[in-house]
Parts: sequence; structure tokens; C-alpha cells
Amino acid sequence: MNIQILDSWLREHLSTNAKPQQLADSLSLCGPSFEKVDKVKIDGKIDYLYDIEVTTNRVDMMSVQGIAREASVILPEFGYRAKLKPNVFKKPQVTANLPIKLKVDLKLSSRVMGVVLEIDSIDQSPEWLKQRLVSSGIRSLNLPVDITNYVMLEVGHPIHVFDYDLVKPQMSLRTARAGEKVVSLENKEYDLEKDDIVIDNGKGEIIDLPGIIGTKNSIVHKNTKRILYFLETNDPVHIRKTSIRLGIRTNAAVLNEKGVDPYLAEIAMYRGIDLFRKYAKARVKSKVYDSFKFKPAPKTISVSHTFIEKILGVQLKKSKVVSILKALGFSVKLSEDTYLVQSPTFRFKDIDISEDVVEEIARIYGYHKLPSRLMSGAIPNQVLESSFDFENEAKRLLVGMGANEVYTNSLVSQSMTSKGSLEIANPLGKDTSHLRKSLRSSLIRGANVNKNIESFHLFEIANVYLPTTKLPDEVMMLAGVIKGQSYRKAKGVIEALFSKLRIVADFSQVDNAVFQKNHRVQVKGLGEFGVLKNNYFYYQFEIDKLKKNQTPPRYIPIPKYPSQIEDITFRFPKYQHVVSVINTLSKTDPKIVSVDLVDKYKNYFTFRIHYQDTKNTLDNKHVEKLRNKLIGKAKSIGLSVRA
Amino acid sequence: MRQKLQNLKSEAIAQIMDAQSVDDLNIIKTHYLGRKGKLTKVFTEIRTVPKNERKSLGVLLNSIKESVEKALTNQVNEMTDRPDDWFDATIPGVPHAVGTLHLVTQAIDEITRVFRQIGFTRVRYPEVDWEWYAFTALNFPENHPAMDDMETFSIDRKPDPKLGKMILTPHTSNGQVREMQRVKPPIRMTNISKCYRRESDASHFPMFHQFEGLVIDEGVSIVHLKGTIDHFAQNYFGSDRVTRLRPHNFRFTEPSFEVDITCDICEGKGKIRGKKCKVCKVGWLELGGAGMVHPNVLRAGNIDPAKHTGFAFGIGVERVLMMKSGIKIPDLRLLYSSDLRFLKQF
Repeated sequence: MNIQILDSWLREHLSTNAKPQQLADSLSLCGPSFEKVDKVKIDGKIDYLYDIEVTTNRVDMMSVQGIAREASVILPEFGYRAKLKPNVFKKPQVTANLPIKLKVDLKLSSRVMGVVLEIDSIDQSPEWLKQRLVSSGIRSLNLPVDITNYVMLEVGHPIHVFDYDLVKPQMSLRTARAGEKVVSLENKEYDLEKDDIVIDNGKGEIIDLPGIIGTKNSIVHKNTKRILYFLETNDPVHIRKTSIRLGIRTNAAVLNEKGVDPYLAEIAMYRGIDLFRKYAKARVKSKVYDSFKFKPAPKTISVSHTFIEKILGVQLKKSKVVSILKALGFSVKLSEDTYLVQSPTFRFKDIDISEDVVEEIARIYGYHKLPSRLMSGAIPNQVLESSFDFENEAKRLLVGMGANEVYTNSLVSQSMTSKGSLEIANPLGKDTSHLRKSLRSSLIRGANVNKNIESFHLFEIANVYLPTTKLPDEVMMLAGVIKGQSYRKAKGVIEALFSKLRIVADFSQVDNAVFQKNHRVQVKGLGEFGVLKNNYFYYQFEIDKLKKNQTPPRYIPIPKYPSQIEDITFRFPKYQHVVSVINTLSKTDPKIVSVDLVDKYKNYFTFRIHYQDTKNTLDNKHVEKLRNKLIGKAKSIGLSVRA
Repeated sequence: MRQKLQNLKSEAIAQIMDAQSVDDLNIIKTHYLGRKGKLTKVFTEIRTVPKNERKSLGVLLNSIKESVEKALTNQVNEMTDRPDDWFDATIPGVPHAVGTLHLVTQAIDEITRVFRQIGFTRVRYPEVDWEWYAFTALNFPENHPAMDDMETFSIDRKPDPKLGKMILTPHTSNGQVREMQRVKPPIRMTNISKCYRRESDASHFPMFHQFEGLVIDEGVSIVHLKGTIDHFAQNYFGSDRVTRLRPHNFRFTEPSFEVDITCDICEGKGKIRGKKCKVCKVGWLELGGAGMVHPNVLRAGNIDPAKHTGFAFGIGVERVLMMKSGIKIPDLRLLYSSDLRFLKQF
């Protein structure tokens, strides 16, 4: 969460010789991150506006005083003088004792404070106060409301003001009942649920959504004369749930849901009374009401010096450790090697274990002062069976053959995936509501994106998610879509890929509903290739299975004697698969070493035949014998030789 | 007569330009300028012209003769300078189809190599995992905002009584405890994988990639985390780059850091020619998150935090690839669009 505060405001709580940019740079390295320092002009005076990112665990820093506190510890480490200015409040003079009656469910709120203040009229805030609020991104409304926001920004505890006369006779802080509603200042109605914290006026009427927003029926209005200045420390989990559900992200809600230090309530109370008396001429008309039943107890954490040095990786002086912790408000007792540490109240929530204490020491000491070194320990000797290298090889081979790799979203619409795909319970939209079981639809969509391009080959290697009774099977797939090629060229890409990867595969023609009739080959156990109904070529293979079908490289002796080569054209009968012909003819004689298809016209197929012997060069007579044998074999399966 | 002369000139020059060899040119020369040549003939014809025109025609004829001779000489010279085996080696080649690896693949390859160099094993863990691995084991309390339906996708399935909801991993950190369950320390792991978060705009795509580093051993400290991050930064981005750690807050690390790297545009100065650098924050760019592994996370992986310590970091792949190449992709969705006009650029 980011907060914006003016340099002049910060310096009301911090005296330092560090210039704004120096302050920002130093704090960014050791504490909250100062994302911007802007020079601004306010009432003709030069000021600086800080934009500060505070991490969610450091709710104690989401205020001017919180930042000042951090700065007072960090700046001296960079050689600057820095001192926190203490809060000084005059005890208010109480002129009446109006009752504040309150019933609190202690599980919901650990501390509640309130005081009644009488004013003459609802005025506007002085200019300087408005400027500070606006600079911090808060709208100025009227003096009472502005004071609550001002004190919240300065101290870090949210505050609310009621019209005292509208919340009588008795306030009751409880959880809402189903069906109850509240109306905001902007006249918006919200439906409540049973975990929401509300305040009712003792008559069952809800008069506040504490820690989140005020309501129309109890807020200070233009005729208000008596104000109830009110603070409560609410249970953060309840606040977060309500605030998120209703979509109300006020500053107060954001602070409250992180868990505010109840001890800050006192400071916020007296600072508020001060401002009301000074700028609204308010009279204090009640005792300061304070119900503080559950006081958080300090926790003692023991940390050894050895442990600190082990995590930091450097040696530190014990006196340095003690001085850092003390500066941060911790109490420290050192006995031999061990520090017994208690955190200040405003750090109770985030300081829990010894590592938390180490972090405090390390960051103030300065991460930038630590050396940078690689591990000296042994390199783990692990053998892990993985397919990363195989995937890479396949990708590079495909790229070499002109294919373009794509990455597509694994989240697809229901219509893009088959039945039984895993459904997202909270999708961003209908087009990304399911986890795909196949890459096909995504690749077709990818191809359609490029419909103006005549020919291309897109491929992807990604997981598909196949539901089981437990976690889905995540199966790494290789899939691609080819456009603008002949069937043989497209299939040739797959065959080349298999050949380079040394995958032995068995292609058989089997139809299914996805591909065009008679245009699909199944690659046994590995995947499929074919022509889709939209005329794209499509293939998909399982990576793991491809990898398992790899054969080791094999050496074949290089023949000593040259081969005789000739082309023979055969006329095929109808419905004859070429591959089976090739297989049959190849087995005619060991000296017929290869039979390759080189051309095809109608039902005429030309094959290139290599005749070769390992013992000598074949003469014409010998070749003729082999040729006759081959032709004989061809005739036996119904082929005839073209004259 | 004048017209005839001009036509004769054009004809002669055209033939000279079309000539293929020196021999051709010699024939052309004889044809026009030889003793019985076409132009030579005109010199005799000129006598038949009336006297008052003869002089100006003579001037024209001489200038035409000169131009033709000059053209001939030039052409002969050029042909003798250009031997018969002349060849234009700069002629454009016939394009061969070469594809492209996706930018994300290119980045992942490089990241893998950089970490492999220092003994990291790349692993792969589920992208759909139990809440326990993605959050609970990583020291997230119940009700933590990151586990909200607002931020993390969950699968429409009954939760497991022990492991919680089935979710799409919002980070690669689910691999931490899984790796601890797979092997004992020493551990040096990189987990590079798809992640999913409920965000979609020009700078966020609901699916993205992260790389996770995890090191667990005896005596592992912040110093080693700095060393490893520097090794990555300097090998991946360049040896002149410097990194720094800033305090941050993550549930699964303690202490936690945000890692910054010096900006390449302003070279870490924060200013270019006196003006604020528009790319970085005062010379630094955010790289990712890191920290010392929280003792509860070690315990969840059955590792004794009293004996072993470790560090972990998580960095966005898309982020580093754009930071490195200086490719300003205006909309991250382009990366996942399959648009060849985009893909073919890399």
C-alpha cells in the first residue's frame, strides 16, 4: 500500500539534517520504499511530496509518525543526524460529564475509546490542513471529518465522528444479522451478512459500519452541535471480509484489516481533542471513555548471536545488534550469546520469531553492506529424468524446417475444449473458463489469426490437463498446424522430425471424427497427423512418449562398392497403400537396399531402386536378375510395370 | 533531312547499347562510319542541299558523328573492363523458410543455462496444484488475501480435506516444498513454469511465466543469495549490471527482499542529459522478489531449520525478457496472440 506525505509534515515529527532525496534514498534501502519525491509548491513555499510504499506487515509505518520513527533509526546509519520529536498533549479540561453508553462484543473489538465534544458550528478546515490532506490524496469535507482523517494520517489509527445526539441512548457493537442493511453517506445501500461488524443505536437500527464507513443516519451534519469522537480497534479478519465483499476500500478499512496497534488509540484520541479545541473551539463534554479489555501481551523472543551471523553471512559486534534493536524500540537483554528481545507494541503483529528479529538487524545494518558470494558447498549430485532437453531439440528442429513457435493461453472457453475439461470456479470471463485438454482449438485459432498469410506452420509445446480424481494429469504435448502445403510436404515435416529425433514410428490410416475422411494417420501410441475439416494440417504428439520411443544412434558400415540406381514406374490397382508396397518390395532381396517413392501421377508411382552388394560391384547381368525378381514380386501384389 | 539525321542517330545509339560483344560493336562501327557507312554516305549527300542550309546541316552531322563515336568508345571500354566470367554475387538469395522460437522460450533457455552453470537442476512441478503446496506449506495463514478468489484461480472441484482447494499456481513457489520432498539438501533448484493470476490488461496476462530459485544447505546466508542474484544479473543482462536488495515482505521468506537491478537506459544514474530517466526509479529497476526461506517452510518440507538454511527467489520471465532486449511490447497479450507479423520479428 502506498501513502503520500509532505516533507514539512514529516519534519514536524522528525528533526534531521538529511535533505529530502537523501532521506528517501536511505529509507528505501533499509525500510519503506520511497517511490517518488516530488518538489511541490504549497502556499508559495517549496515542499516535497513523498510517495511511499509500505508493505502490508508494517501497518505501523502507514502514518507520518511511523515514517518519522523509521527515519530516526535509519538516517544515523547513513551519517545523518535524526531525532524523533515526542508527542506532547495538554490534559483536556472536562466541563461536563455526558454519558457514553456502549455494549461491545469483545471478540470483535479489543479497544474502544470515545469523547463528547461540543462545538458551535461545522466549519471548513484551515488552508494548511486542507493542503496536507489533499496532498495525501484525501478530500477535504468539513473540519470535524478532516480532523479525523488528519489524525489517522499522522498517527496511523482510524477515527470516526458521530453526531452524539443521533447515537443515543446506547450503542451496541455486534455482528450483523442476515438481511440487515446500511445506507452510506452517498446514499448507497449495502446488504449485510452475519460476519459484518456493525454498531446499532440500542433500538436495533444500524448506525455505523465501524472501521469501514460511516452511515447516513449518524454522521456529523451541518447542524451538529455535539460530536462523539470515537475510536475502536477492530478484528482485522472481519474487516477485510466485509470491506472486500462490499467493495469499500476506504483508508480506514485498509488500516483496520491489517491490525492497528490499540496503544495508538490514546495518541489519536488526545491529538484529536487538541485539534478540535484549537481549530473548532470545542468544549470537552465527557470523560474520555476507554474500554481496553484485551491488552496484547509482549512476547519474548530469544535469538542467538551465532544465528544472526549465520543468516547475514558476516560477523557483527554485539553492541551493534543491541543498539539497532534499542533504536527500533525493542527491549533487549543479552546473556552470553543470546538476546532476549521484546518488540514495541506497534510491532506485536509482525515480530513473531527469531528470523523476524534477524531481519530487523540485517536491514538496519544494511543489505548493501553485505558482500556478494556464490555458495561454497557441494553442487548437488542429482540425476533427474526430465524432457527439457528433448523439448528443446524438437523445437529447434521444427524451427529449422520453417515452423514458428507460439504460446497460447491454457485457459479456453467451454466451446474450445471437449467435455469433462476442468472448469475454473472463478474465471475472469467465459472465454477463459476451462483448462484445455488439447492444444488443437488454440492452434486453430492461432492459424485463423494469420488467415491472410498463404502458408505457415505454427507449433506449440505445452501441457494439457486431463482430469483425474485428484490433481489432473499434466501431459506435455507437441502440436502444430500447417497451412498451404501439399499433403506429402506437410507429412514430410513430421517424418523429418521423427527421423532426426530417431523415433521409430508406425503410421496407420485410421479415421476419426475430427479429421477429414481418409485423411488421418495414427502414430501408434504417440499421436496423430492429418487434415482437419477446415483444411489445415494438424498434428499432436505426447512428448514423453516420443522421448521413450527414441532409439540410440546406430553406425551402419559405409558400402565399399557403388550402388546401381534406376527408376521404375508401376501402375497401382485402386485402394493400394504405397507404404505397404514399399515394405514388400524392400524385402525382395538383400541386394535391393532401398525403394523410395520419387514421383506420382494419377495411379502411376515411380520408385528409385538402389541395387548394391557388400562384396563387389554389381554388373548389368546381376542387376537385371534383381530387377526381374522385383518386378515379379510387384506383379504378385497386383502392380504392373509401365512400358 | 534534319529528321532523317536525328533518326539515324537514335538508331545507331540504340544498337550500340544493345550490343553484346566487342565484335558486335565493330560491325556497328562499319555499318555507320565505314567507308560505305550510313553516316559517311550522308556527308556526300549534303552537297545536294541548298547552300544556305548546308552549313548548319554540316554542324549537326559532325556533332552526330561525334556522339556515335563517343558511344562506341564508351561501350567498347566497358566491355573490355567486364570480362565474360562477370557475376553479380550480391544478387538476393532465394529465401529459405526458417521459423522462430518464441521469445519466452528464448528467455527460458538462457535462464536455464545461466543457472545450470552454477549447479542448479531444472525441475517441473504441477501447474494445477493443491492450496497446501502453493500457500499453506509456504506459511500463508488462512484467510490471506493472496488466497482470495480475487487473486488466484481455483478449480471447480471439491477441496481435499488435507490439502485444500485445487488451484492454478499463482507462482512457481509451489515447487519449493515439492523439491524438499523429492530430495534432501543440498538443494539447488530452478523451477520455470506457467503461472496464472486473475489479472488481464495491457501489462498483465492471466497466464505468465516465472522462474524460481531455491538453495538449501548448511550455512547458506544472504551473502550467497546476493552472489546468486548477481551471477544471474551479470550473465543474463551484462557484466556491467549491479543489483541491490531492499527490504520487503513475503510470507514464505524471512527476511524478505525486493531485488533491483541498475537501469540500462540511464546506466543506473537515474538521469539522462540532466533529465529524469523515464524508464526507472532513480537508476533502479525492479527485478523480482527474494528472501531467506522461512523456517516454517523448511519444516513443511521436513528440513530442520536449526541445521539447514536456504534462500529462494521468484522472477517473471516476461519481465526479464523485455528488460533485456529492450523490446517495448505495448500490450503483453501480443506475446500470446500467435500473430506471425509479431512472431517473425524475433
